[in-house]
Amino acid sequence: MGTAVTLVKDAPPAARKTRSAAPADRKRRGRRENLAGYLFMSPWIAGFLLLTAGPMVASLYFAFTDYNLFNSPKWIGFDNFTRMFDDPRWQKSVEVTAKYVVIGTPLKLLLALGVAMLLAQSRRGQALYRAAFYAPSLIGASVSVGFVWRSLFSDGAVVDRTQSLFGMHVGGWVGDPDWILYSLVALTVWQFGAPMVIFLAGLKQVPRELYEAAEMDGAGPFRRFWSITLPMISPVLFFNVLLETVHSFQIFGSAYVVSNSQCGPADATLVYTCYLYQQGFKNAQMGFASAMAWMLLLAVALVTAVLFWSQKKWVHYEEDVR
Amino acid sequence: MSVTTVPKSPGLGRKRTGSLVWHLGALAVLAVVLYPVLWVIGASFKPSKDVIGSLQLFPGHPILANFKGLAKGIADISIWTFFQNSLFYALGSVLGILISCSLTAYAFARIRFAGRNLLFSLMIGTLLLPYHVLLIPQYVMFQKLQLVNTYVPLLIGKYLATEAFFVFLMVQFMRNLPKELDEAARLDGCGHLRIYWSIVLPLCRPALITSAIFTFINAWNDFMGPLIYLNEPGKYTVSLGLMMFRDSDGVAANYGGMIAMSLVALLPVLLFFLAFQRYLIDGMATSGLKG
Amino acid sequence: MGTGTNVERRTVLKVAGVSAVTLGLTATGCGGSDGTSADGTVTIRYSWWGAEERAKKINQSIALFEKKYPKIKVKTDFQDYPSFWEKFQTQAAGGNPPDVFQNAVGFLRKYDKRGILLDLKTQIDAGNLSLDHFRPGVTSVGQVDGKQLGIPVGSNTMALVIDKKVYEKAGVDPTAGWTWDEYFKALKTIYDKTEVPGDTGYFSIMYLYDLYLRQNGKAFFTKDGLGFEESDLTEWWTDGYSRVKAGIVTSPKVVAQDTPKSSLSAGHGASEFTWDNFTVRYTAEGSSTYGLAPIPTTDGKDTGQYLASLMLSGSARTKHPKEVAQFINFMVHDPAVGKIMGYDRGILATTDQYDAFKPTDTVQKEIAQYEVDTAKAGVLGTITPHPSGADTAESAFLRIGGDMALGKTKVADAVKQFFSEAQAAFSA
Repeated sequence: MGTAVTLVKDAPPAARKTRSAAPADRKRRGRRENLAGYLFMSPWIAGFLLLTAGPMVASLYFAFTDYNLFNSPKWIGFDNFTRMFDDPRWQKSVEVTAKYVVIGTPLKLLLALGVAMLLAQSRRGQALYRAAFYAPSLIGASVSVGFVWRSLFSDGAVVDRTQSLFGMHVGGWVGDPDWILYSLVALTVWQFGAPMVIFLAGLKQVPRELYEAAEMDGAGPFRRFWSITLPMISPVLFFNVLLETVHSFQIFGSAYVVSNSQCGPADATLVYTCYLYQQGFKNAQMGFASAMAWMLLLAVALVTAVLFWSQKKWVHYEEDVR
Repeated sequence: MSVTTVPKSPGLGRKRTGSLVWHLGALAVLAVVLYPVLWVIGASFKPSKDVIGSLQLFPGHPILANFKGLAKGIADISIWTFFQNSLFYALGSVLGILISCSLTAYAFARIRFAGRNLLFSLMIGTLLLPYHVLLIPQYVMFQKLQLVNTYVPLLIGKYLATEAFFVFLMVQFMRNLPKELDEAARLDGCGHLRIYWSIVLPLCRPALITSAIFTFINAWNDFMGPLIYLNEPGKYTVSLGLMMFRDSDGVAANYGGMIAMSLVALLPVLLFFLAFQRYLIDGMATSGLKG
Repeated sequence: MGTGTNVERRTVLKVAGVSAVTLGLTATGCGGSDGTSADGTVTIRYSWWGAEERAKKINQSIALFEKKYPKIKVKTDFQDYPSFWEKFQTQAAGGNPPDVFQNAVGFLRKYDKRGILLDLKTQIDAGNLSLDHFRPGVTSVGQVDGKQLGIPVGSNTMALVIDKKVYEKAGVDPTAGWTWDEYFKALKTIYDKTEVPGDTGYFSIMYLYDLYLRQNGKAFFTKDGLGFEESDLTEWWTDGYSRVKAGIVTSPKVVAQDTPKSSLSAGHGASEFTWDNFTVRYTAEGSSTYGLAPIPTTDGKDTGQYLASLMLSGSARTKHPKEVAQFINFMVHDPAVGKIMGYDRGILATTDQYDAFKPTDTVQKEIAQYEVDTAKAGVLGTITPHPSGADTAESAFLRIGGDMALGKTKVADAVKQFFSEAQAAFSA
């Protein structure tokens, strides 16, 4: 498998042209390829126009209107956006989401990487461990997860007792506006299965000769991690960072169940989409909610752009690994 | 699908201690990770009153009432109905994703057509889109088409490749397949459909299985979609059925039944996962996430 | 396709067939959505909020109805309260509200303004629905701006639910006509003697504050706004906050942690203001004995109470207003239905149903007795109006009151925030 493949950096590599083809032949072939391409793409194109582009245009329009779902939308220009910046709850939701993304994402990825490295060694019972570590990710954000989490992080329960052993008495995290966000972070971190699996895939493709050579040169485990593992898995790391960050921005379900669908107390778990949901579906402020959604889209796009820009500095795409 | 292994530490004595340390480490993580799962199991044997706010992991006097209650169904509906609906939704989604996303991915990865790069970036763009943006316009549309209270709004996106993550996963995988295969097939007179079906798809098995697992889990746990689009309790999925235990209007909810049901609801996902999980790693490993 | 074992493949193929059929057929097969089939059978859709217990009762009632009206079929669906209203709003906006649905007073003007509610007057005049034989004062709950927008199914009134054991231990005995001063003194006594806070957070309950305002010649709402000043609320919340600080009202941290259980049933509070028919909940959730006590007063007599009620409403868009009216009529008047439903949605609203059901368990007996006593005491007034947006204002009151009590927001800011959110809700 010789072709170098980068992540999303550029479009898929072109099929190689048959060098000997005559121009007329090539043109005819090109037309045929176009036809085949669009035929294969037709489900996606239909889906994109019908389910994505159309509704997107509609919601972009709503973002500039006063729309309560019942009356027809009334054009109000940028009012929704200016209102947003003056709204203390919107500011709070931005703060909560930012905190959640900045704290939760790295912790989750660290744990996922750590466990993946543990599992990458071939030991007895490895498959069993792997399946068990993935189990929490199967559960999703169901109501029962809400119950468990609220119980584990309540006053006098296991987390509180463990914490008290170290002389830190907080009491119940779930009732405390200063702490509940961390129990939400813990839930995210707990469901580290997906990035773990991806890390594991990346680790398995690091050629072991590299380690053997490094060991012969007297490199310790930390050194081996730093100069072999990390660069070798950096594309996978990038993929995980990108996906988890984008996901974290859109977190909804777990905040909803951990706070017992209140996104509280004192708006402490009012993540962005929760506020968006409250405004749109509870208060029927569809114009405002659409404007919020577009702000989120802009923020995510910006962060993604920064990540893509930064990958030049730290992501190593090997020309040929094998 | 070769399994490459990472080096074991050299030296026999060190190997034994290393192994011990490894197992201790893995078990420690496992204990923390599985504690909440144990809690759910314990809670399912507690009386409803004690499910919320009780500090014990396991009940002092375990009861079976919660599970027995399930056998009677929820609100006159057998729980098998919910399971059948969820299974229909999950497997229907898996099938849709496998077909539509692989066709799309094939076009992106193996056919050179005008406008491909533009479409590809559009597709990646949809990865970033918060689905809340689309919810209301989509609902209004399905409402006008009289498709509310059917599974069409829930499934149609899956048959139209709107889940960019899986298209992307498959594109990355297909790009890594040697081009020589296509060329040889083409010399034999095969068209794209034939190459797609007989050459690319079979080779893509790991990516397809990975997509299938993720799709199954997502659909099984999906709550928002069914909540919005399904009206008749007879059409409800398990995740909606769970909510039927909940009440905020005076009478206390049947938390015990809810926990028992959510535990039983976990079984199909668990089985699906266990059946295919050994392909998961390879599906990921070779899917071109790495150079 | 690469799906492992044969069994899996078979299942997948089966699903493939089925889903192809669904995708292909439902688009065409769903045409007759006005719910009339060839033989003249009419199908109406009935949505309500609640849980499985209520579902079983409603299914039994519907079976009786369909027996009596073989040409009408009723399809039901239900969610819990918040999901119900979110879903209702989405459906109504999409032009597809259920034909009949459970309703509450806070939503009448909101959905009337949006043209969703059927004025049942015409059906009453046509003789399909009767407003006779209701218990006194109940029917006015569904009357708004001269229209009959809902028919009551069961009445309730605000009450103070108490943990009897704790109250006894503290030696506190609530009597009719007791004052707020006496109530707050009692909270302190309870806290001093039992270390249990006396109340779980009275100050953020909109319907209780409404009673307090009514005792003082005001009301929470007017027809189109709030019936009190920022200064009123500032005082109410400042006092509330100081009582939390003093420990006689449960810490909101504890309340937040106890949800979805009530702090009263969790043993973290000795009493809670709520609707009288909700008492059932505490008995089911908690391990103490719970009872009902009178609402404290300002002048030693007037509690400000009134009868509220859950209602059945029809959709203005229904193609079968007559059948909707017949269904509602059956559900509120038929004695057998009363016997099945019991006090699940409040004390049965019509005399026929009220007489048909005799509660056997102590809790339900006590609820019935409470409403009899309240009516006898002559304190029941008429319900004050609820403007469009009252529902949103109510939840904002609860949320912001909670934030304030946590000390995260200053009282003055909390009051401002509430007024601004309420205004936005009224004008939405």
